[in-house]
Amino acid sequence: MFAYISRRLAVSLLILLTVSFAVYVIFAFLPFDPAALTCGKNCNDPGIIEANRHRLGYDLPFFTQYFLFLKGLFLGRSFGEGAAMINCPAPSLGYSFQQHACVTNLIGEALPVTFSLAIGAIFMWLALGIGLGILAARFRGRIVDQLSTIFVLIGTSLPTFLTGLLLMVFVVIRWHLIPFPSGNYTSFLENPFEWAQILFLPWLTLAFAYAALYTRFVRSSVIDTSNEDYIRTARAKGLSESVILGKHTLRAALAPIATMAGLDFAGLLGGAILTESVFNLPGLGRLAISAVVKYDLPIIVATTLLAAFIVVIMNLIVDILYAYIDPRVRVA
Amino acid sequence: MARVKKSTSIAIVAVLALAVVAGGLVKMSSGGSSKGGTITYLTHSEAWTHADPNRNYTGQHIAWFGSYLQRTLTAYARAEGSAGSAVVADLATDTGRSSNGNKTWEFTLRDGVSFEDGSAITCEDIKYGVSRTFATDVITDGPTYAIGMLDIPSAEDGSSVYKGPYATEGNDTAAYDKAVTCSEDNKTVTFNLKRAVGDFNYTTTYLSFGPVPKASDKGDAYDMAPVSSGPYKIEKYKAKDEMVLVRNTNWDKKSDPIRNAFPDRVVVRFGLAEEVRDQLVLNDSEKNSMSLDAVLPTNLPTVFDDDGKPNSKFAARALNVYDPYVTYSAVNVKKVPCLDIRKAIYYARDYAGLIQLGGGAAFGGDPADGVIKPLMGLDYAKVTGLDEFKPEGNAEAAKKYMDAAKSACPDVYAKATDPKRGLYFDFADTDTNKKSAAIWIDSMKKNAGITMKFNYIEAGSYYAVVLDQTKQGDLSRAGWAPDWANASTVIPELFTETGGFPMSQNWGDPAYKAFKEKSDAALSEPDRKKQGKMWAELNQYVMDQMWVIPGVFSKTQEVWGSGLGGVFFWEPQGAPSFGDIYIK
Amino acid sequence: MTLLKVENLSVDFPTPDGLVSAVHETSFEISAGETLAIVGESGSGKTVTNLALMGLIPPRTANISGSAKFESHAGPIDLLSMDRNELRQYRGKDIAMIFQDPMSALHPFYTIGDQIIEAHQIHNKVDLKVSKARAIELLELVGIQGADTRIKAFPHQFSGGMRQRVMIAMALVNNPLLLIADEPTTALDVTVQAQIIKLLEDLQKEFKMAMILITHDMGVVAGAADRVNVMYAGRIVESANVRDLYANPLMPYTQGLLASVPRMDRPHTNRLSAIPGQPPSMIALPSGCSFNPRCGRKDEVGANKCETQMPELTPRGIGHLSRCFIGEGA
Repeated sequence: MFAYISRRLAVSLLILLTVSFAVYVIFAFLPFDPAALTCGKNCNDPGIIEANRHRLGYDLPFFTQYFLFLKGLFLGRSFGEGAAMINCPAPSLGYSFQQHACVTNLIGEALPVTFSLAIGAIFMWLALGIGLGILAARFRGRIVDQLSTIFVLIGTSLPTFLTGLLLMVFVVIRWHLIPFPSGNYTSFLENPFEWAQILFLPWLTLAFAYAALYTRFVRSSVIDTSNEDYIRTARAKGLSESVILGKHTLRAALAPIATMAGLDFAGLLGGAILTESVFNLPGLGRLAISAVVKYDLPIIVATTLLAAFIVVIMNLIVDILYAYIDPRVRVA
Repeated sequence: MARVKKSTSIAIVAVLALAVVAGGLVKMSSGGSSKGGTITYLTHSEAWTHADPNRNYTGQHIAWFGSYLQRTLTAYARAEGSAGSAVVADLATDTGRSSNGNKTWEFTLRDGVSFEDGSAITCEDIKYGVSRTFATDVITDGPTYAIGMLDIPSAEDGSSVYKGPYATEGNDTAAYDKAVTCSEDNKTVTFNLKRAVGDFNYTTTYLSFGPVPKASDKGDAYDMAPVSSGPYKIEKYKAKDEMVLVRNTNWDKKSDPIRNAFPDRVVVRFGLAEEVRDQLVLNDSEKNSMSLDAVLPTNLPTVFDDDGKPNSKFAARALNVYDPYVTYSAVNVKKVPCLDIRKAIYYARDYAGLIQLGGGAAFGGDPADGVIKPLMGLDYAKVTGLDEFKPEGNAEAAKKYMDAAKSACPDVYAKATDPKRGLYFDFADTDTNKKSAAIWIDSMKKNAGITMKFNYIEAGSYYAVVLDQTKQGDLSRAGWAPDWANASTVIPELFTETGGFPMSQNWGDPAYKAFKEKSDAALSEPDRKKQGKMWAELNQYVMDQMWVIPGVFSKTQEVWGSGLGGVFFWEPQGAPSFGDIYIK
Repeated sequence: MTLLKVENLSVDFPTPDGLVSAVHETSFEISAGETLAIVGESGSGKTVTNLALMGLIPPRTANISGSAKFESHAGPIDLLSMDRNELRQYRGKDIAMIFQDPMSALHPFYTIGDQIIEAHQIHNKVDLKVSKARAIELLELVGIQGADTRIKAFPHQFSGGMRQRVMIAMALVNNPLLLIADEPTTALDVTVQAQIIKLLEDLQKEFKMAMILITHDMGVVAGAADRVNVMYAGRIVESANVRDLYANPLMPYTQGLLASVPRMDRPHTNRLSAIPGQPPSMIALPSGCSFNPRCGRKDEVGANKCETQMPELTPRGIGHLSRCFIGEGA
């Protein structure tokens, strides 16, 4: 098991390096001039553009820029000289002139929001999806199963922004079941109750969509696994149905869920754009989108890299988790 | 009548005196308000476009910041209807004293006016505030009247020799010191103008003529933390989150006859999804709140009937009025230097479809024939030569001009009709605009064969982007209202190179030279009636060149929660008089 | 003594196309320590019979009738009168079953040690250490080297033959009175087959247990069984002790089966002999004797008789029963 982990870790590091390079290449060869984007209204003065270009290091050769970027990740980076110098400490992802802040700080503020959103949602949808899926499989063809089919249909058809909007308009605005949040986000450390209250509907919005998918998947996975020979063996040994379900069937049926959930989680960590917009959550999704709309290049590069990193790391975690569950994988 | 005992009468007088004093104390300590509570403003934008008083330019921003945070030498009266267009004294003791044939203006500051930290506002602070407008590389997007009016020579390239308070090299600060002077007691400011401006005390209603403490100036970053001279101060301001104003305990009601300071707190909530924002107000879910944005057209029928009058449910909390704005699509003449194509765009456009999106004429307003609204009276005359206009688009006329364009300006023609290139239209990123875009794309293609592409910009930063002459597209959506009742604040602002809102970038056009001469002449014409006729002629001139595609003489709708009172439409700013709103 | 006495066992599956009579009124016996082979093609009902006895047919899918009296450790019980839950105390304890495909019959995520220990723990409330010792003991018994380390291995780390040994160990961990082995060697190499069969025989003697050996391989039957039941289309068509069956097969189907076994001790012929035709569809069984469409000896008693009447299972000699009109009344 340890050998397996070491191997996967080494490969992941290599992938991370490759991804960072690929992203950097893409942005280095874009058709517009990053230096021109950094200054204000009367930027047709080539003097200012050149000065900014030098300040930000855009006039250096490509590989030097990439190397400085990597170095900045570990050691921090400074832009410009003298009195106007800006310093962004490690891990430096660049400086956004439009928001007058180091990109790392901006991401540092947005990431906990998106993380809170993702983690609550995943707990909800796993509990709902797996629970409902098992019930639907266990009572196949009966009322529970048919109701779950309706749930799956609705959940996969409704787009998240519509679900979110409906929840917001009815639960909060019309029926006053949950108060309209007094701020756009409260961190867990500040006030856990308020944190949960603000995130409850966003969690529900995401969980609704994902739970539907997972219910369908778990249901068919449990049914398929129940027909396996080793389940028949377990029954022949005299095990009770609940032990068979809990110990034998589920471990095999839910193993693929680990991979699915891990990757879905990674995708959400990149920013649940629609949900964050409807509920006004200042997460990575909104940071990325507004950066794209305003041509704020350093943020766009950073959020792209971050999303890629998260996917690579989650892949690693998921692989290790899967090897723990399924011993056949460990020789890979 | 029985004689009251002397001791009793003394006691009664004493008690009454105490009561009066106590009442006075209570009134003073609560800052002159008896209403209280928290008013909440809701908006889809992620932040204020600008909170820096030198960079604010929309009527709504000026009304809001002028009500709560920024005092100015003079201000508009807080009154409904045309009474609101009268100028009254704010920081100054009167509405200004002019001399030298309206080329010299003098204002004296009142006693007891101070910033939020209690320090007194002096003439130096006014002088410093006005100087910031000259730092055009940092202080962007605000009105540039100071540059155009103050008696400071221009350099060869047309820019002022004074570069603002930040530049150290090549900066003629002496010229500024001569143009704006302070009295010895630092309480009277004198402005020396380069030409006669009869209504300069209207110009000083702009926040950009207000005081800024030099020690607190952070240049670009002042936009996030302006210092207050008004009844409130900023406790918190975070983009995508909220702005919270609390009472400024150093504001003295006695020195401020025009502001009420009713609520204890004012909150602005940013970043709300558009539908959420509307539903909060429509459902009266947040009774003490008001939307800062236009109502989504899909929600208009909920509030108003087909004629545009509020339904019974909304009778006391909605209004639908003509605002001072004319909306239009500025054509970037630098990029589209072809009159025929500009005309083709005008005739090909499906005006009827677009106005329907906004809920129809009852809400959108009437089709504009230029940039001057009939309401302006003296300066308006009906524009001629637009007879081929058809609301649903006139394909024949459009085709005629496109055919002419093919030979007259083949390059622009090629660009406009090539599906891979096409013309780029700047739009703010809202759902309604996206629907408009569809109608534009369709009618342009169908009626003129033009490929129209759209560039969506975040609503809060829209003007910051399109006013950057390197970033502006081929066409840009815009709206403009006269800064006061004179088209001198329209024609030169929109169509001259030094104007504050020159989105047509038309100074390269061969027709510009004659235009500029006429415009300068109108600016210095002392006979108001004659001046009005000249503006009307220039409006015609602009339309002959089709430097803009005229939109609507627009109307605006406001909706607010049932807990708010005192809401009225303040005509000079085209927005509610926020400072008069209270919680019932 | 009679360990298991099955009487009139019927298993019918209701399907949208009609009632499938997988097993029709089948009766047989097995004595303690005896090896009974049940032989037949796929679909003959041999597996379903035993699944029914074990209570492994999914509930609400079949109609099961008949009785199966079993002398358990706790006294005589009727297997068919108990529901699945009640049978649990005997399943894996008094009666054990091993299955055809050892590749898929073991849970891939748990070690073989865990799986054997689990089988022991279900029926014995003892310390885990005791079960572990028992598991090692059994693994050594079935011939797995280094049992105390191999116990931590996973099924995918074993070969097919080894896995079947593990299955056998797991089945025997509780000293069952009866072991049902459903085609235990079909999925294995020929060389390994012989080993497994020998292993089963040795263990049977050691544990003194009865064994039902289900197979379609006549070669396996010859070496391992005491008695043989031949099944066709849900019925027993011939039953005899192994010597008699091979020496004197009475029913044409049995004759066909035996004839189709390739023999090393006979001269090579160019073709293997096979029974012509296909097994019948269980939904639309032929009238009369189920085998008649493929039978080459119908005319000996009159084809019409075979095609219209179902022969009874009648004794033809000592312990030798046959369901065929040929030789009846002899």
